[in-house]
Amino acid sequence: MTDTRTPQPPPESVAEEVEAAHSFSGAKEERGTGRTAEPTAASAGWLRWGWRQLTSMRTALVLLFLLAVGSIPGSVLPQQGTDPGAVQQYFASHPGLAPWLNHLGLFNVFAAPWFAAIYLLLFASLVGCVVPRTFRLVGAARTPPPRAPRNLARLPQTSSYSSTLPPEAAVDGAAAVLAGQRFRLRRSGADDRQRDGASHWVSAEKGYLREVGNLLFHLSLLGVLLSIAAGGLFGYKADKLLVEGQSFSDTTAALDEFHPGRLVSGSDLPPFSMTLNKFTANYIQSGQSRGQPSNFDADVSYTASPGAAPGTYHIRINDPLSVDSLKVYLIGHGYAPEFKVTGANGQVTYDQATPFIPANTGTFQSDGVVKAPGTATGTDLGFMGVFVPTAISVGGTLDSIFPAADNPAVSLIGYTGNLGMNSGVPQSVYQLDTTGMTKVSGSPHLLAPGQTWALPGGKGSVTFVGVKQWVSLAITYDPGQMPALVCGILALAGLLLSFFVRRRRVFVRAVPAASGSGSVVTVGGLTRSDAGGGFEEEFSELAAEIAAAEPAGHSEPEPSTKPEPSKQSEPGA
Amino acid sequence: MSVNLGFAQASNDFLIAALLIYSVAVLAFAGDYAFGRPRRTAAAKAAAVPAAARLATVGAGAASGSAGAGSAVGSAESAAPAIPAGSGTGKVPAPRVGAMKAIWEAGPWVRVAAAFSALGMVAHLVAVVTRGLAVDRAPWGNMYEFITALTCVAAIFFGYIVVRYRAWTLGVFVMGAVVLALGLAETLIYTPAGPLVPALQSYWLSIHVTAMTLATGIFFVAAVLGIMYLVAERYRARVAAGKTQSGNGLIARIPSSAQLDRLTYRTVVFGFPVWTFGVIAGAIWADQAWGRYWGWDPVETWAFITWVIYAAYLHARATAGWRGARAHYIQLFGFASLITNMLVVQVFITGMHSYAGVS
Repeated sequence: MTDTRTPQPPPESVAEEVEAAHSFSGAKEERGTGRTAEPTAASAGWLRWGWRQLTSMRTALVLLFLLAVGSIPGSVLPQQGTDPGAVQQYFASHPGLAPWLNHLGLFNVFAAPWFAAIYLLLFASLVGCVVPRTFRLVGAARTPPPRAPRNLARLPQTSSYSSTLPPEAAVDGAAAVLAGQRFRLRRSGADDRQRDGASHWVSAEKGYLREVGNLLFHLSLLGVLLSIAAGGLFGYKADKLLVEGQSFSDTTAALDEFHPGRLVSGSDLPPFSMTLNKFTANYIQSGQSRGQPSNFDADVSYTASPGAAPGTYHIRINDPLSVDSLKVYLIGHGYAPEFKVTGANGQVTYDQATPFIPANTGTFQSDGVVKAPGTATGTDLGFMGVFVPTAISVGGTLDSIFPAADNPAVSLIGYTGNLGMNSGVPQSVYQLDTTGMTKVSGSPHLLAPGQTWALPGGKGSVTFVGVKQWVSLAITYDPGQMPALVCGILALAGLLLSFFVRRRRVFVRAVPAASGSGSVVTVGGLTRSDAGGGFEEEFSELAAEIAAAEPAGHSEPEPSTKPEPSKQSEPGA
Repeated sequence: MSVNLGFAQASNDFLIAALLIYSVAVLAFAGDYAFGRPRRTAAAKAAAVPAAARLATVGAGAASGSAGAGSAVGSAESAAPAIPAGSGTGKVPAPRVGAMKAIWEAGPWVRVAAAFSALGMVAHLVAVVTRGLAVDRAPWGNMYEFITALTCVAAIFFGYIVVRYRAWTLGVFVMGAVVLALGLAETLIYTPAGPLVPALQSYWLSIHVTAMTLATGIFFVAAVLGIMYLVAERYRARVAAGKTQSGNGLIARIPSSAQLDRLTYRTVVFGFPVWTFGVIAGAIWADQAWGRYWGWDPVETWAFITWVIYAAYLHARATAGWRGARAHYIQLFGFASLITNMLVVQVFITGMHSYAGVS
């Protein structure tokens, strides 16, 4: 991310610029281009060659591309992690292709070994680049700025003025200005005398925070990756469908689905319990967005642990409930019509609210089944139902025109026979296996709340008692969340520093004037990294300030402006 | 949650007005190309004095050794008086002439174009604000509102570039793209003002979507600059190879490829942290609303892809052999993935971000 645009000066100034830019941090110095010499020796040479290849910018670029391209199938194909149902559907509709895609891990891209290989290589490349750079930054922070080049007029930014002061005093004044702007200084010393003759100079450098930011950004990305890994190892996610009036406690048996992290077992779950008192959904009643939901609210009571004081909360979308370290989210809702089924002998065999799954999330027309085992073999009753919250009959077909339960109705198809619930094979509560059953009547039977359908032939009856609602809740625990957030913010801070701080050097050299008294002072400056622009302005202001800080007769240098690089170092260095 | 119909109507009217005013501005920008005064003479002179060019341009892109005079992108005519093409003896660059004066001196076509652009921006901004007042929330809850807002960002950001870098020669391209995007939004996906679904009822809408809107608007400008770079660079290479004569009327008007390269980079450097912030804010919101901060939802995946490609551009620019046109292709791929996310993934691929309201 370091900008290494190199100015292309005429040849005679190259020496000065190279000298002035000595050990200026830049990616060019930090990362090779990948075109390193071929290995000559045995395995150690190959290893070194391989490591250089891996940590080269060219390889990093290729890995970044692979990461981008590798992510695409994850958004185009259904993914096991987000929508397992869609993956099954894909298998059903593409029986030839799907197994091949599955072999390549394309239904679980972000957990696939090849995807992990890309990002792990990328991070290895990053570490291989960042660690040496960190050492180099520490080294740079302990090394004073380079000597001032001989001819400052050949630097990209220059300015000169004549001073009434002798060279040493003129440079003292300039050094005071630079020190006041928190530049890190190096003054010409006695050992430079031979090289510089009668001239004096000061070198000043600033902007180490740029490299600090760059390193912070890359290390924080590593931190984000580790946080995600921690969440995957120690966190968990569970789902629970809860009908109004029902309760559950947080145990693996009570949860509908439980996805623990690698290092989590069921006994690690906090012992909280919860009851859904009431669920409210509001919909826009009129206008163009009629039927669009405007508010969801799940009124719950909970206890954090057995014996703890119970609390109540309104879980809403964007407003989860926090219990201990875990959070409970409202992620879905639907209707649960209540049915009462009576067998042929008059005994009630089923009496409960039955969650139906929305087939249309706009109108909440929902599908579900009722399974009422009979008292004797072959007398089981089963019903396939369609629930509509606001019923309307269009040409004899039942439809829903509004998602709220304004005029609820169910349409049932009844079956008798053997449900197969004792066969030991687990069944879905949302599907009816009709292989061992016979249809009670040809056409579906429509019921409004309170109505009863007496099955023909005295096989029993079913009553549509009323309607309740259900919510689906997600219960999550992710210990990596907060570290990931912190690392994300640090990465952003590092990014801003590395983009908007510039590393720059300013040199001031004073030579005795030809007239004999006073001196000619030249100020030169250069930067290697000016993405945001503005060094020109900064330099011209600084040069003007240095020239203006030239009080006639002020020749006593302040002791504090004497060169003491170790104490003048930058805060970020 | 009711809609204020007066404000809603005002917003629609102001947006149409902005579209018409922008169209006039684009015509005036184009007129400047067709009938305005030629301006490359000054640049040619400056290029003949390498010392002058070197004094003014620190670290000009390596792609072109003959950067025009001054760091002011735009016509060299205005840059030349701003930064005296002096000798290398160390004159501190004089402050630039004021933006208004520079625009005034650029000729009647630029004057008209700048005035209409500014007027259009005001109307555009009023349209966005009244839309927000009509629905009593941040006015970027569906695709129509999002495009309206991001083109407003692009227009205002372009205005900043004109003031900062004197880059009105880019006007016909940037404002042309804005008019195109706005026109398509108005005709194809207009959505009347309405309240939001519960999932979007969060203050994170103002934070996450605002950042994404800003970043998209900035990357939009960067993409236009990148395309112009490729045109200018191709032309420069052909001139350098002796395949064509320099002084092509249209291309001579736009900034040099080195200037465009730098301006593109600065624009991306501005947009990238905003995009990063937007992704982080989105992750925080996703955690609030859906119970996980990152779930590889299609839109999240594409936001990640976009981020990775722009990161690749920033790295490519610091890698030997990748600077110049190759880096710009990467940048344009980044914008292509952003547009794919906005117009294809959000509309056609079902995911948790399916809020576009386009049906």
